[in-house]
This record gives sequence, C-alpha cells and structure tokens, in this order.
Amino acid sequence: MESSEEKVVAVIMVGGPTKGTRFRPLSFNTPKPLFPLAGQPMVQHPISACKRIPNLVQIFLIGFHEERDFALYVSSISNELKMPVRYLKEDKPHGSAGGLYYFRNIIMEDNPSHIFLLNCDVCCSFPLTDMLEAHKRYGGMGTVLVIKVSAESANQFGELVADPITKELLHYTEKPETFVSDLINCGVYIFTPHILTAIQEVSMHREGQGHIAANIRHLSSFETLQSPTRALPLDFVRLDQDILSPFAGKKQLYTYETMDFWEQIKTPGMALKCSGLYLAQFRFTSSHLLAGGDGTKSASIVGDVFVHPSAKVHPTAKIGPNVSISANVRVGAGVRLISCIILDDVEVQENAVVINSIVGWKSSIGKWSRVQADGDYNAKLGITILGEAVIVEDEVVVINSIVLPNKTLNLSVQDEIIL
Amino acid sequence: MKALILVGGFGTRLRPLTLSVPKPLVEFANKPMILHQIEALKAVGVTEVVLAINYQPEVMLNFLKEFEAKLGITITCSQETEPLGTAGPLALARDKLIDGSGEPFFVLNSDVISEYPFKEMIEFHKCHGGEASIMVTKVDEPSKYGVVVMEESTGQVDKFVEKPKLFVGNKINAGIYLLNPSVLDRIELRPTSIEKEVFPKIAAEKKLYAMVLPGFWMDIGQPRDYITGLRLYLDSLRKKASTKLAAGPHIVGNVLVHESAKIGEGCLIGPDVAIGPGCVVESGVRLSRCTMMRGVRVKKHACISSSIIGWHSTVGQWARVENMTILGEDVHVCDEIYSNGGVVLPHKEIKSSILKPEIVM
Repeated sequence: MESSEEKVVAVIMVGGPTKGTRFRPLSFNTPKPLFPLAGQPMVQHPISACKRIPNLVQIFLIGFHEERDFALYVSSISNELKMPVRYLKEDKPHGSAGGLYYFRNIIMEDNPSHIFLLNCDVCCSFPLTDMLEAHKRYGGMGTVLVIKVSAESANQFGELVADPITKELLHYTEKPETFVSDLINCGVYIFTPHILTAIQEVSMHREGQGHIAANIRHLSSFETLQSPTRALPLDFVRLDQDILSPFAGKKQLYTYETMDFWEQIKTPGMALKCSGLYLAQFRFTSSHLLAGGDGTKSASIVGDVFVHPSAKVHPTAKIGPNVSISANVRVGAGVRLISCIILDDVEVQENAVVINSIVGWKSSIGKWSRVQADGDYNAKLGITILGEAVIVEDEVVVINSIVLPNKTLNLSVQDEIIL
Repeated sequence: MKALILVGGFGTRLRPLTLSVPKPLVEFANKPMILHQIEALKAVGVTEVVLAINYQPEVMLNFLKEFEAKLGITITCSQETEPLGTAGPLALARDKLIDGSGEPFFVLNSDVISEYPFKEMIEFHKCHGGEASIMVTKVDEPSKYGVVVMEESTGQVDKFVEKPKLFVGNKINAGIYLLNPSVLDRIELRPTSIEKEVFPKIAAEKKLYAMVLPGFWMDIGQPRDYITGLRLYLDSLRKKASTKLAAGPHIVGNVLVHESAKIGEGCLIGPDVAIGPGCVVESGVRLSRCTMMRGVRVKKHACISSSIIGWHSTVGQWARVENMTILGEDVHVCDEIYSNGGVVLPHKEIKSSILKPEIVM
C-alpha cells in the first residue's frame, strides 16, 4: 500500500558542450537541451512529463554545460511549475550512472522512494505514471522503458531481451553486430535508491580489477583493448554497459513497453521531426497551445502549428503543418511555411516559402525567396538549416543546404554547406 | 601619425579557423595577421592605431592591451553597431583620426599582406600634394576586381572600373590608403563604399593619386590565398632577413620554425612552411606548403601539403593530408587517414578518410 509520505524525484541527464557536434550549426548558439521543439525547450518536454507524476518533489538536471547556460531557464521553469528544478553541474562527465552517483546526497535529500532517470534528448510520450505503477508491481531495483523497432534498425541502440510474462530484463547488449532483439532501450528508467549501491559496487569492482592488473604487470595496449572498462576512470559509470548488462537476468531489472512514438534527438533533422511529434501530441494533451486560424482575421493554419504569442503573422500567410514559430518573429504577407522551425527574431518577408527547414535566430528571409529541403530527417543535408543571423536575399533559392551563422546569400545554392 | 585598420566582420571566408579566433588574431607566418600591419605602422612613426570592428570586441580588446604594452603604441577600437561598409567606419572613428595636426592618416584593409612600403607612400603623398593616395598592385586577371585607371607617369587616378569586361588596365586597389583629414568631410556616417562613392569623387577633382605597390601583395582572407600568401611572404623574408628562416639538411626552400617547436629525425620540411609555437613534428614527416598553428602535433611518417592545421590539432601516423585541407582547432586525424581537401570544424576526430573535398561539421 502506498504511503502518503512516499516521495519521488526525477533526474534528467542533459550532457555537455563537448559532446554532440552532430547538432551543429544550431549548437553554436544554444546548448542542445534548450533548443525549442514545438515551442518549448527540448528539456521541458521530459520536465512536463515528470510534473504529472504524483508525489514528485524535485527535478534535477545533471550535465556539464556551464551553469550560466541553464541559470535563467531553471529559475523560470521552477517558478512556472511551482516545483524546484535544479541544475547540477558535473566537473567532468561521469557517465549516465556515474552522474547520478556523484550527486547522490542531493538527490536523496528528500529520502525519495523512487528515482526517475531520463535522457534529455529522447522524444517520446513519457508514460511515467503507468511505468511507476508497473515498477512497483515488479518489485525490482529498476525498470527500463523499452520499445519495439524494426529488426534492421535495432542495432543502432541498446537491445534488450525481456521475459514476455514477467517482463524481467534477461539480457542487454549495446549496439550489437548480430541480431539480438527488436526491443530497444528508450533511455527512460525508474530506480529504487538501491541503484546507488549497485553503481558503487561497479566502481569498487573496477578498482579491484585495476589493482590486480597494476600489481601483475604494465598493461600493454592490446590488453587495454581487450578489457575496455579497465581503461575508464573509476567514477565513470555508464548505465547501459555497466549496470543493465551485469544486472540482467538477476530478478533486479524489469521492462515496461511503450506503444507510442520514440525518437532520439541527435541532429537538427531529428529535432524538426520531433518538434512535429510533440505538436501532434499537443493536439491531445494541450490543444490550447496550438494555433488556429482560417485566413480571415488571422493566418490560415493547417495541421499542428505553434505560434509564440509575441510573433506577428500576416493574415494572408498560410502556416503548417508541423510549424513552430518562436518569439518576436515577423511573418509577412503571402508567406507559406510548411514543416519548419522558425527561431526567435526571424523576419520572413512577403511571399517567401519555407519548407522542411530550420531558420536560425535573427535571420532574414527575403521576398519571394525559397528555403527548402527534401525532408529526409536522417540525411546529412536532408533539411535546410540556416544558422544565426543568416540573410537570404530577395528571390534567392536555398535547397538542401546548411548555412553557418552570419552569412548573406545573394545567390541561390543547392546541396551545399556554406561556412 | 594615426592609422585605421578596417577589421570589419565575421571572417566567414576563413572558417573554420575563425570559429575559434577572430580573423585579425589568426596567425600568419607565426604572428597574428593584424600584428604584421601594426608593427609596420609603428616603424614609420604611427602612434595610434584604431581598429574598426563589429565582432567579438572582448577578445580583441584583451589582445590589444598585451600588444599596446609590448609595442609602445596606442591601440583603440571603434565598434560598428551596424555594418558601415568600407568608408563608414572612417566617419565613425573621425574624432580619433583628427588631432588638429593636419597630418594624413593611413587606412588599411586588415586582410592585406605586403611589404608595407609606408615610408615611400608618405613621400609619394607629400610630392603630389593631392588629397588622397592609394596603393595599387598589378594582377594577371584584373576583371576579377575593381581596376584603377591612372596616368602612368604621375599616378593621378582617372577613374575606377568594377570588374571591367574589356581591358582598361591591370592595376587594382591594394587596400592601403593615405588620406588627408579633409577626406573625412566627404564621408557620412552610414554604410558607404570607399571605392564606389568616395574615391571616384576625389578622382574627379583630380586629387587622388595611386602608387604601384613594390613587392608582393595578397588578400589572405581565404585559405587558398592564405597559402599562396605565405609563399610570397617567406620569399620576401628570404631577401630581407634570411636568418629568420630555418636552415639544415632537412629543410627545403623557405621555412619558418618557431623556436619552441620540435622537429624529429628524418623529416623533410619545405618549401613554404610555417611551424608555430609548441608544435611537435615527429620523425619521418614530410611537410610542404602548409601552416601548423600553435600546439600542433604531427605524428611519425605523416605527409602534409597545401593545408592549414589549426591550433592543438594532431595528424596521425602515416596520415596524408593535402589539397587545401583546413583543420580547425582541436581536430584529430587518426593514424593512416587520407584527407583530400577536408575542411573540418573544431573539436572533431577524423576516423575515416576524406576522398574528395568536403566540409566536416
């Protein structure tokens, strides 16, 4: 029976600046966790999902970005949600489990009975309340959110084998070469505080191994290749390889399968795709956030569209589907926007067309210009990305290209990266 | 005497190098680009240099304090809040350039390297008694640029022709000017082009004179020209101060090696190579027509040509890097990798070969 005193906390891993060059050029200006999807910073989607969990008392963001990058956001979201959201900066990366252990005293200060651990760059419906109920039924140390994917794509992720009846995690392997399972790790977990002991055991075991090896002889580089964990620092503990794998099949870890959408947001292309997924989700959970309009008093809206209240969109423009317009944007007469993210302070001038693109902060899209791409979210040049303060002059066409900040395009380009 | 250096914008043509450091501070021949100019100005008695910038003033200001002290010259910044073109910045810096002495002041384009014959230019300016002097340089393909049409004997400028279709002359604006303070009265504080608006007016009044730049000239604002420019610069250094160049059995042609750099056994370095401070070149390495910025490590048996290797990058054993490969800061090319014209942004590891020119983000 649930005690009314039972408290729950959530930890969201937000990473740091040296990882993720894949998010360039957008990451030049803003840490990836704060990049907006469907009008809200990426990290806000898991935060909002956590807020819905009963008895949640604190949310922690753990990463190694500079504190000042998160200070404003953390203070404003704490205010808005009326719940403490704190950014804990690691002095260096500790791995997904190591970070949890490093801040264990702060995380445990309210004596929570359960700890949610989520990766910030995961896009899904976060069925956390149902997952917590399942976790309590299983009675293990941890429960992993899993999803079925196609057999061909499974090896890009961590593959898990689960018992179909008990849902116990039987086997875990990271990016295997041969087929193991079509169930993959979604990067969302629930743990009891025993996880902290488990992480400590891993560190101590590694320390023990290191001592033995050091005493015997100097490790040749070949041997270091054979046992990679020996090369890792003691306090760098990865959740997948170092916890899930060894604890599988010991009645400690269980799985909870989601039938909804799931994606990883590693590239700008995926950011555009996930922005669309969240906009579609808003249709069911928060339709007041979506824009409406039929072209009479306000612009025609097609499908799921977010328009920031401070943005000005001309009534003759047609917007959507899958469009997200940020603060202070001005969209001129006769503009057509399809499947795009328009970031703060952009000006889209009359009769311009933007399709399958991300337009960076303060950029300017000229009259009758066309910024578009094929829309293949996984291809290198599958969506067109304009960095901060890019000027596309009137009537210029930009197709399947990436343009770095502060450039002015006065000639059309196609399939190019413009430095 | 005073001088204004037009530093301007974001240096996007020199990316990825300028993603780490503002363009005037990117080293050329082991010295920040702008320092080449400031030193030459100091040598002819310029006491104050104004930098017209619109980007990253904090980084520039720190650098300036350091060099003000070392060189004993005043360096100030004039910051544009909107791009003012090539003449507008002069109006913005007006108060700093006019000191009542009536002396002319220099204006330089920050991307230009040459022998900076400023003394000769001052003489030339005094001689003709006109309002403005500009340096021009002879090029093979004048139609790519703005051509200055002038009278050969006096240097009096007739007119400017942008990218002429038919041959009108082979001298182009070299981006070095010596102007009387009265020129500032002709420039409004708005985006203005000195070549298109200001100089043609002065030329029409027959008060603009052009001097043909002796020695080499290069606009090193983009990688290909940076590499060519290094060859010209080192050539000129050979004639003037050849002791600064490296010598030895492992050196071919003109090579500049910083005193703190280390070179291993069995290497062949040169021609036209600059190796920056703290670089380590291991044994058996071949380098030609390339620049290593500060802290670069080139591992054994590697081969680099016609490339620029950014600060603190490494090139692996037996790697081959050539054909306008530009590595940004902290790029690591793994062992045995081939890069043919790869342009690599900072903080990347290159684990697979780049077979044809491409940008790696």
